[in-house]
Amino acid sequence: MEAEALSWLDEQERARARRFIGAGPRRGFALCRAALRALLCDELRCSNEQLAFGASEHGKPFALVQGLPVDINFNVSHSGNHGLIALAPEGRLGVDVEECTPHRNLDTLIETVFTPDEQAELALIEGEERPRAFFRLWTVKEALVKAEGTGLSLDPSLFEVPPAMRRGASSAVFAFPRTPSVRWRVERFDGDDFVAAIAHELDPAI
Amino acid sequence: MASTAERIRQLVSENIEVDGKALDVPEDLNLSLSDAGVPSTDIVALGKLIAQDFNVTFTLDDCATFSDLSKVAAFIDSKSA
Repeated sequence: MEAEALSWLDEQERARARRFIGAGPRRGFALCRAALRALLCDELRCSNEQLAFGASEHGKPFALVQGLPVDINFNVSHSGNHGLIALAPEGRLGVDVEECTPHRNLDTLIETVFTPDEQAELALIEGEERPRAFFRLWTVKEALVKAEGTGLSLDPSLFEVPPAMRRGASSAVFAFPRTPSVRWRVERFDGDDFVAAIAHELDPAI
Repeated sequence: MASTAERIRQLVSENIEVDGKALDVPEDLNLSLSDAGVPSTDIVALGKLIAQDFNVTFTLDDCATFSDLSKVAAFIDSKSA
């Protein structure tokens, strides 16, 4: 299946696949990228050969058909055996999926990416629920950072996951402190061994 | 005393696994962790651990220039020169 997926990719994507060190991450990349191509070709009514990708200054990819940028937003994430792809005709998108496996540096991560209030809430959670609680907040932040598209210039410890989602709600509306007029719809969904989140920019007219 | 490069290689191998095996970084540190498929959680945690180990601070602008681990070592060495 991986070989078939790789056959869908262009040379630049295959070169990227070769740079992956582990077989698992390489396979995840190839399958998700081929699936993304299939979805975009269907949505844009183009052939796989006509489809290519460019990247913004901060590395966020965008689609090109016959060399021209097209109006569609997409984002991809994969972790372990799970992949997540979202498409939208309008509004920026970000997604993140994470397998809920124990992380050896969980405490370091918590103090690096969360606000003091978020850290205090996570400190109350112990045992097997702690990694899942961590990833529930992490995926929301990662999806928002990816959606916003400015990469490392957006410090995840400088904004909070919406309080309703920290109390268990599966969705909320969010705005970054530095751009309060831009609103995002954030949704979270969990499986037995993964958590995921999607952030989608809301139409300012609504 | 371990060189900066040796210590970074050690921190990576102690803290990052790919497919269940410790990640082996080349001696010249010519490796981009994100290109290699290392999860963002591992990259963020490693950045914090390296900063603590070498007693340096990475700003977000600094991190944006770290295209591979050799750039991290060069940054650290420039701070201690």
